[in-house]
Formats: sequence, C-alpha cells, structure tokens
Amino acid sequence: MSTGPSGANIEGETPDIEPVVETDEATYTDEAELERTLGLIGGLSIGIGTMIGAGIFVFPGLAGAEVGTAATASFVVGGIIALLVALPTSELATAMPKSGGGYYFISRGLGTLPGTVVGLSLWFGLVFATAFYLVGLGFYALDALAEIGINIGGSPELIVSVIAVLSGIAFTVLNVTGTENAAKLQNGIVALLLSMLVAFLGFGLAEVAGVVDADTPPGTDENVWSAFPILSTAALVFTSYLGFAQIATVAGEMKKPGRNLPVAMIGSVVIVTVLYVLTIYVATNIFDRATLGELGETAMVEVGRELLGVGGALVIIVGGLLATMSSANASILSTSRAIFGVSKDAILPSWASRINLKYGTPHVALGMAGGPIIVLAATRQVELLAEVASFLHLIMYGLICVALIAIRRDEPEWYDPDFRVPGGPIIPVLGAIASFGLILFMNPVSQGVGIAVMVATAGWYYYYARNITLKGAL
Amino acid sequence: MTHVLVPVAILEDESVSMGLSEFLAPVTVTVLGIHELPEQTPPDQARNQFEDRAMAVLEDICAEFEAAGGTAYSRLVFTHDRRKSIDRVAAEIEADAYVLPGVGGKIEKLLVSISGQMTVEPIVDFVTTIVAGRDIDVTLLWNESASDTDLTFSAVRTRFADSEVACDAKTVSGHFMQTVRDEIHTHDAVIMGEKASSLASLIFGDETERMAAESLGPVLVVRSPPLETTD
Repeated sequence: MSTGPSGANIEGETPDIEPVVETDEATYTDEAELERTLGLIGGLSIGIGTMIGAGIFVFPGLAGAEVGTAATASFVVGGIIALLVALPTSELATAMPKSGGGYYFISRGLGTLPGTVVGLSLWFGLVFATAFYLVGLGFYALDALAEIGINIGGSPELIVSVIAVLSGIAFTVLNVTGTENAAKLQNGIVALLLSMLVAFLGFGLAEVAGVVDADTPPGTDENVWSAFPILSTAALVFTSYLGFAQIATVAGEMKKPGRNLPVAMIGSVVIVTVLYVLTIYVATNIFDRATLGELGETAMVEVGRELLGVGGALVIIVGGLLATMSSANASILSTSRAIFGVSKDAILPSWASRINLKYGTPHVALGMAGGPIIVLAATRQVELLAEVASFLHLIMYGLICVALIAIRRDEPEWYDPDFRVPGGPIIPVLGAIASFGLILFMNPVSQGVGIAVMVATAGWYYYYARNITLKGAL
Repeated sequence: MTHVLVPVAILEDESVSMGLSEFLAPVTVTVLGIHELPEQTPPDQARNQFEDRAMAVLEDICAEFEAAGGTAYSRLVFTHDRRKSIDRVAAEIEADAYVLPGVGGKIEKLLVSISGQMTVEPIVDFVTTIVAGRDIDVTLLWNESASDTDLTFSAVRTRFADSEVACDAKTVSGHFMQTVRDEIHTHDAVIMGEKASSLASLIFGDETERMAAESLGPVLVVRSPPLETTD
C-alpha cells in the first residue's frame, strides 16, 4: 500500500506532491507537462564528461606515485565498485525517473532521516568534488601559462588557488545568467576529449609496447602489488567514478528513460574504466613512481611530452583544461538539481529552489553550490577534497544498494522498473559492502570530515524535518 | 473538426490578438502555454514556481477565444526545447495547423503562400474552412516551379471559387520568397504549408521562421499529413 509524502517541516511547509504519469517523451502532471529533452548522447556526455577530468588528467600522477603500475588494479577496483552501484541505480532510476536521483531513491526506500543525510551530503559531496575539479583546472592553467612562456610571478600555489577561485566565480555567474547551448557545448567537448584520448592512448600503448624495458631507470621503487596500498589508492581515485550517478539526477529530463538511463550509466562506467586503465598503464611505464610523485597533478602533461614532444604536452594541457572545466560545470548543475530535489520535499526551505524570472535560473541553489565551492577551491587540498567527495558519495552509493533491497522486499504497488538487476540481491549486497568498505581505506582526516558532514546533516533533520514522512511514497 | 494549435510563450507576455481569436472562431483551438527554460533549470522546478501564474494567463487567453465564438482548450508545458514540445502536442491532438501568434488587429486580408509542397490539398481545405462565407480577401501566391503537387493551380482556383472564397490568385516566377516578402506587408496574416528540412533550411533557418520574422501578423502553418509508415 502506498501513501503520499506527509508531514511538515519546522516552518510548516509540506512536501510538494504531484500525481504524475510518466511517458517516454514527457511527464504529465495534473495541469502541466514537463518535456523530456535529454537523449542518450546527452546522458553519456554528462557521465563521461564528469568523470574523465579526474581520472585521466589529475589522478595518474598521484596514483602512479603511490603504487606504480599496480594503480591499474586500483582503477579496476573502482570500476567494479562503480558498476556494482550503477546497476541498482539504473533499476531504481527507471522506476523513479525524477530529478534528484540518489536522494529520491533513498528517501522513498529507507525514510526521511537517511534521505536527509544523503540529500544534504550529496550537496556537500558535489561541492567538494567541484572544488577538486577547479583546483585541477588551476594546476592545468598554471602549466598552460608556463608552456606558452607567461610568468606571473608569485608562488605557484597561490596562482593555482587564484585561478581555481576565479573559475569558480565565473562558472557560478555563467550559470546564474543562464548560458545558452551549454549542453551542446558539453557534448562537443566530451566528443573532442574522447577522440583525443583514443588517439593519444593508441600512440602511447604502441610506444610502451616497444620501450617497456628500456626506459625504467635503475634503482627505482618497484611497483607496489599488494592489497592495502592498492585499495587505499582505489579509495583516493574513486572520485574518478563520481559521474555516473549524476545521470540519475537528470533522470526527470531524459527521453525514453527506461532504456537510456541504464545504457548511459553502465556505458559511461565501462568506457571510462577502460580509458583509465590504459592511461595509467602508459603513464607508469613511461615514468617511475618517484618522478610521478614530483610531477603531481599534471604528470600527464609530461607523459604527453615524452610521447609526442611539445605537441603531446599541449594536447594534454588543452584536454586537461577542457575536462576539468566540463566536470566542474556539470557538477555545479547537478548540485543545483540536488538542492531542488531536497527542497521540493520540504527538507530545505522552499526559497532554496527559487527561480528568478529574469534569467529563469535557480540562483539561490546555484549560490548555495557556488559559495562553498569557491571557499574550498581556495584551499587547494586536492587529495582531501577528492576523498571527502568520494566518502560522501560512497555513503550514498551504499545506501542506494540498501534502498534497492528494501524496496524490492516491500515492493510498493507503483514500483515497476524497466530494468531489473539480475541475480537477486547479490549485486546490491556486494555493492553496499564494497562502497562502505572502500571508505575504510581512506585517509583518517577525510573520514573525519565526512563523518562531521553526516552528523551535521542528521542534526538538520532533527531540527527541521523530523515530522516529514517520505518512505514508500511516490 | 479542424483543430489548430496556438503555442504561446506564456510567461514572456506573448499573447493572442483579438483579430486572431476572431479569425479562428470557426475551428477548435488548443492554446499551448510554453515556458522555455535554460538548461540550468529542471522543468519540475519551474512548474513548482510558475504553474499557477501560467494557468491564470492561459485561462484568460481561452476566454478570449470563447468570447469570439470559438472553442478553446488549454495545455501547459515546461520545456528546454520549444520546437519539440510543439511537435509533440501537435501530433497528440492531431492538429491540422499551428500558429505563430504575432500581433495585429482584425484579419481581413490573408496571404496564402504555396512554395512547392507536394500536398497542397490540406492547405486549401484549411483556408476554405476558415474563410468560407466571411469577409476576408485572399491572395494566393503560387510558386511556378512547384511541380508534382496533388492539386493543380487551376484546380485550386476552382475550389476557392466553389467555396465562396474571394481569391486573387497569382503564379510567381523568379524569386518566390522575395515576392512573398513584398506582399506580406499589405496583408494581415499568412497561411503556408510545412516544408521538409533541406540543407538550405538548416543554414538559413526554416521557411516558417523566416516568414515569421517578416510578418508582424500571425503565421499559420498547415501541417503535412503524417507519412504512411509500415511497422
């Protein structure tokens, strides 16, 4: 038996319930229709575009420095966990193709407290992730300036922070003023990046196959093929997989959601995993661990330079700038949709999802995303930002798997997914264990920050939204 | 019953002129309120905030159609793609034509532009339904290079005459669109057919858009009948 959402928050606002009929092309509510305009390409582009900024351009240096070529295993571990979560997320998304994605499934499957914690943690998780992408952008911009010979003076660290902050402000302003054709631009950027990468990696693999023994200098650290380092590196680089669930946040706007959501989510995870493994393989066969450690976030630029000279370096620099920009922009948009999803259920005040009539954009939500992002980006703490972002997302991923098990057990009458995960509860159970388990391999500071965020969000629930019931309600 | 779709940019103060509501009195009208959103805004969020206001405006517009003696329904859509919404709703209600509302007063002089579609008959039927027995002068501009049409130029003239449509029919050689552009300014509204996309239309904008840009008054586009498809 299903009931609608009920209860009111501390200001007396109630969840905005609307009975709806979902079709492939539009959502029909009582008085209005909501057009579905996003196709499969758009979905893949959001997923891939968000993920490769981190995985290809920022992490190879950091991951390679930790464990050398064993980082391929770290990325594979991340890919498997992402896949274990993408499958349940696909099933839930086809049953509930609404804005808000993971928050929606968890609040309806497990109730308001988990929903609040996840919904607000998702907001913070995306904020940390966007700040991470912006810092990556800062490093690449610094390299770009150095490459074309511009010397700004002042410490490199400061320049990176300044660029990151300015970019954050720029993206927020651009989105508040409603940039036209942002989606088409995103699609174009992702297509360009993929072609560049395929060509680059093809070349890189050919080179590596020829020189794999010759280039390793004597006396270097061996690659670290043991479980704990591989897994803690996996926890570090898991930010590379944070994009696929973002596709679920735009599920409400996707055409033919029953087919496009699973294909886009699973497809994007598979595609990026392959690209990541190849990239890290090439990078760690060209440089040893110590060198990668020195090169840091923009190690790939030097990989490019080794392979193809200045041209190679420039290709990577341009790619890095485009990829980090596209990741940052896509994440800001997801954050604003996540805030809307939560505010619609009265867990945040309704003014959080206000739209201004001048530009037609949700300026409050964008500000609530942009403000913290800019502050965090200034800190330049790449690894901390990445791990906290992953922490908060992994909590959500684990709970999505739990929510799937809960919903399947009670199975409300409206639950009719177009895609069902095969194998009964095995995959969601493994997904939950893997997601929560990966958190254990993180840096204690990251874990601490993540837990603090979760405690704060739970506190908000008790203060503001205690009386709202969302479990089992469509 | 002939059914016409009237898309209106509902929250941008686009409205329907009294002349248009009078003009469409003989047919059934569905007023489609469209609110086109930037990509940053999910349609549900806009619905949340603007639905009530939009519905109020739609009701006023429908009342105008009813006051002129017509029948009017309303629908409301929040979308990122205005074109897709119009096409979808037009297909759902099986609209015979859709309108770009424009501005202006009473419609007394109507320009019918036939630039070379294969199926002319729906356009002729539509004009006849709206104009027959009323005090509206029709100018027909027929592109001489139109070949393979289902009705010939003289057949169309005969049809109009039989249905008491006062028609000044001319064939146009040379640059068709230029002639149309010149004639538009002396007319209150334009009726044309829907043309399939071509390379030219991709570059220069499709004919409907170009016509709307030239015409201050309403532009009515008669839809091509759906293609027969085998499943």
